[in-house]
Amino acid sequence: MISYAGKPFSDAESIAVLNPYVKDWFMKNFGELTPPQKYAFKLISERKNLLITAPTGSGKTISGFLSIISKLFDYSLEGKLEDKVYCIYVSPLRALNNDVYRNLTLPLEQIYSEIVKDKGEDILKGNMRKVTIGVRTGDTTQQERRKMLLKPPNILVTTPESLAIILNSRKFMEHLSGLEYVIIDELHELANNKRGVHLSLSLERLKEEVGGRISLIGLGATLYPLDEAAKFLVGSAASSTEDCVIVDASWSKKLDVVTRSPVRDLIYTDGQKIEDEMYKMVNQIIKENKSTLIFTNTRSGTERVVFNLKRRFGYGEDIAAHHSSLSRESRMEVEDLLKKGALKCAVSSTSLELGVDIGAIEDVVQLGSPKSVTRAIQRIGRAGHSYKATAKGEMIALDRDDLVECTIMLDAALKKHLDSFRVPEAPLDVLAQHIIGMSIARKWGVDEAFSLVRKAYSYRALQRKDFDALLNYLAGNYVGLESRRVYGKIWYDEKEKMFGRRGKMAQVIYMLNLGTIPDEVAINVFDLNKKWIGNIEEEFLTKLKPGDIFTLGGRLYRFEYAKGMKCFVSEAKTSAPTIPPWFSEQLPLSFELAEEIGKFRGSFASVLSASIKKRRISRVSKSTKMPAEVKKVLSQLPMDENAMDAVFRYFLEQILFAKEVPNNKLMLVEQTHDIEGDKNYLVFHALFGRRVNDTLSRLFGIVLGEMLDMDVGILVGDNGFMLELERESKLSQKAVEELFSNVFSSDIISTIRLNIRKTEMMKRRFRQVAGRSFMILKNYKGWKISVGRQQVNSQLLLNAVEEIDPDFPVLKETYREVMEDVMDVPRAKEVIERLSKGTIKYKFITTQTPSPFAHKTLTFGHADVIMMKNKHDYLKELNRLVLKRING
Amino acid sequence: MMLTEEIELPDGLPVAHIRSLSSIAISDLHLGYEGMMARNGVLSPKINLLKIKKTISKALDTTGADRVIVDGDIKNEFSNVDVEEFNELYDFITYVKGTGADLVLIKGNHDNFVERYGKSFDLKIYRQEAAIGDYLFFHGEEMPSNSSNAKTLVMGHEHPAIGVYNKSGRKEKLKCFLYGKYMRYNLLVLPAMNYFSTGTEVNMEPKGDLLAPIFKKLDVDSMRAIAIGYGSTEDFGKVGKLRNLA
Repeated sequence: MISYAGKPFSDAESIAVLNPYVKDWFMKNFGELTPPQKYAFKLISERKNLLITAPTGSGKTISGFLSIISKLFDYSLEGKLEDKVYCIYVSPLRALNNDVYRNLTLPLEQIYSEIVKDKGEDILKGNMRKVTIGVRTGDTTQQERRKMLLKPPNILVTTPESLAIILNSRKFMEHLSGLEYVIIDELHELANNKRGVHLSLSLERLKEEVGGRISLIGLGATLYPLDEAAKFLVGSAASSTEDCVIVDASWSKKLDVVTRSPVRDLIYTDGQKIEDEMYKMVNQIIKENKSTLIFTNTRSGTERVVFNLKRRFGYGEDIAAHHSSLSRESRMEVEDLLKKGALKCAVSSTSLELGVDIGAIEDVVQLGSPKSVTRAIQRIGRAGHSYKATAKGEMIALDRDDLVECTIMLDAALKKHLDSFRVPEAPLDVLAQHIIGMSIARKWGVDEAFSLVRKAYSYRALQRKDFDALLNYLAGNYVGLESRRVYGKIWYDEKEKMFGRRGKMAQVIYMLNLGTIPDEVAINVFDLNKKWIGNIEEEFLTKLKPGDIFTLGGRLYRFEYAKGMKCFVSEAKTSAPTIPPWFSEQLPLSFELAEEIGKFRGSFASVLSASIKKRRISRVSKSTKMPAEVKKVLSQLPMDENAMDAVFRYFLEQILFAKEVPNNKLMLVEQTHDIEGDKNYLVFHALFGRRVNDTLSRLFGIVLGEMLDMDVGILVGDNGFMLELERESKLSQKAVEELFSNVFSSDIISTIRLNIRKTEMMKRRFRQVAGRSFMILKNYKGWKISVGRQQVNSQLLLNAVEEIDPDFPVLKETYREVMEDVMDVPRAKEVIERLSKGTIKYKFITTQTPSPFAHKTLTFGHADVIMMKNKHDYLKELNRLVLKRING
Repeated sequence: MMLTEEIELPDGLPVAHIRSLSSIAISDLHLGYEGMMARNGVLSPKINLLKIKKTISKALDTTGADRVIVDGDIKNEFSNVDVEEFNELYDFITYVKGTGADLVLIKGNHDNFVERYGKSFDLKIYRQEAAIGDYLFFHGEEMPSNSSNAKTLVMGHEHPAIGVYNKSGRKEKLKCFLYGKYMRYNLLVLPAMNYFSTGTEVNMEPKGDLLAPIFKKLDVDSMRAIAIGYGSTEDFGKVGKLRNLA
């Protein structure tokens, strides 16, 4: 059963559970308890399973560890402490592991020497020992590992992957016989992905292997829903020992946040001027604060901001960039400088959002929307190091949709409305790995193994037929008998319902190929004379079609064709790229936030409409004043004056121009065309988040394409999606109704599946799934197989697998991953249902020029606020046309 | 479709039917390919032989031919034969014989071993090239002998394909035959029958990168590409015209 902790315990109650020396150390160093500690010390001492969420700087790590350390010193003083692992700490970040190791080594030493000082050296003659801590990750040398095997640390700090390896190390497992606690840190970074699912299976295997009861302690930043996270932590086994208490201290830090617009008018102010004002605003913030952290969403944006701040305001070494493309050393250096307070400002894409301690940040600036409430809170939570401090943050938006989005995001954060995460549902590739791991450890009955696997939350609903299919695949039953010695990874007796290790190679192959994180691939770009130009990300390549123009190293190139992992281009003569470089880096707008924006649009539009009617407003100009009743609504939101004014005008223009504001209950389908007027656009104003929009756009695109028997272009954005048709193919109201009714009656899953099959994404994901399922071995017989080679092979493999069995586990998992983890087919289905029932309405309108709310989807589905020169001119032109129509 | 009065290309199949010889010609089977993939850590289902058998059966049915000429590279590995490959080879030969057709093998660069098995399988095996009727079959990794009285040369080795873009801008790769003139001969290049070989895009690849030495003496652009795919066979015209399509 999952329960929420009630009132915190008093400090006295909490402290009372600690060993006196540990208590003294804690009081001397901290003096008082932070909110999570007020629950954790006592509950952990009672060996409860615990999920603690709390912001950075709230003493989360100590809250998880202190009762355990206390217990270990009790053992030590009783002379019972052995060379055994009592506690395993797992985090997804090696940097965090090293941090935790450093931060605990000193206290362990200090407490130990206090004891020795107090009791006298004589105590050492008894069996009083030091409590030890050790790190084991992919970086740990063979020699250190061997040492650890001889003398294991009492607290083992490790990663999910190293834990999986330990599970198959018979000798090391002997040291875990007394394991009492497992701490999982950064749970929010694990519960929503395959790496976390992999870890959760490891935990179930660990529990089974150790036998005794293990207390599970999950630590995380803000995440929602908490019950789901708790279930992920303790598993789905129904027994009462798997209770979990949730300590929600995520709101213990106060927020002081606001959305700002650098200028009053984001449309008619010159693009250069907007940029100047934005940098002035940022510089002002940097000057007013001791230290500032700036988030930009993209790596290229990070570089540009650092460059501009240095150039414009003469900053030097006191500003630094931190993103995932930088080397580990330079990132660590920046973290160190931040911790020491030696940096005035750090600029990051996403890499500083979580994890390692970076010391006292006074203000967090977010340039452009971070697209999710949870992410916004995690980032802003980096400000104000102590839990008592207020986290100060500002979001600077450079277009009107972003202003609305950021404001609603901050409002949701203040109201504690978070977007939810989802645990991947029973991924078969991760399971394949564990079955191999299990088979190496010992012989299993199939029933017994199946029930163990189902204890992991992600696999609670795993179908037996899928499990059996996986065993058949792993046994190599898809090839003839004589080949199974190569293909088979497990021994499997279908009649006796048993499986186990096959051959001597199994262990080596398993150790070398285990893990869930796909290899990064750089695609080499050549000109047509095969001269190397540079490289791009694989993800980016999958979006390119011949004729697309993109920038690389500051020059423009036209995409010609791709061959394997090579991309061929020619020099482009035009002035603007058709695909922006940040295209693949852009974060998707979350479902929940989109819905909140939709709600706001609905309620604000009705206030504004009433006001327009009452005051008979029919024109819009610079002098149009914001009515008091409208201002009253906006001033309750976290936004500055400029932002209020811009949002007011934005909605006013939309209402005067189109009479309709699309919202969470109204999907507007707008037929319109470009300034050049050579294409017919169908803009769907859909606020369901990008992943749902991605799904919907394909569905509507396919169905419309079939209706008209022509190719339909698709463009996906956060605020909607767009279908692009030939100019002649104008749709009537009747045709649109037919389109919707055809979509309602279509088989969504099979339609999308067919569409996915043709995409580059499918090929790429298949390679990754095949890698995780050990159908493609990255590391085999001493060879490391290049990703390029893997990719070429995987395309052949995909066809072959499809040919023998369309339900082959590796194929099935690829479709699941694309439909559920990349797109959001389940929610898209829900939306379609609501549309067909009429709880969400749709309305078809035709406009002569695009309505204001369509501009962003039209200019680009994906936009980076920091670089928008060409886009800005285009937007201005669109707006001019709108105003001309309104004002006559 | 009929390529000439003599040569028929059955719809959608990588097979040439030569009427006067009552034979079908195929090339580059690369049996045992999955074994090679497996040794590289890619564990593909065994699909190559399965597909080849189906194709041959269909081709023999539609054409009524009673001889199968394999124009080289029946097997994938250069030298060793392991058990699996031997089994596939055995399976293939037994299968073809089972249809009642004769089997003729022309040795390719991958086929160093086959002579050893020629006797036990009662096969006709040609070391380099074979003149049969008006035709000279050779694999293609070397030049054909010039003393032949043949009118038409038939080769494999190159694995030809063309790359074309469909309406939505997606590139498609189609296996193809090449047909043209070399000196006084007609030249027919067969596509690879191997399931996993998608081929070399002769209209995109720089000419110097082609494998067969004969393309040093002859401009591939002057040859016609007859592509196969989606169950049909279609003449796409001269390769030169298919360059720079995108």
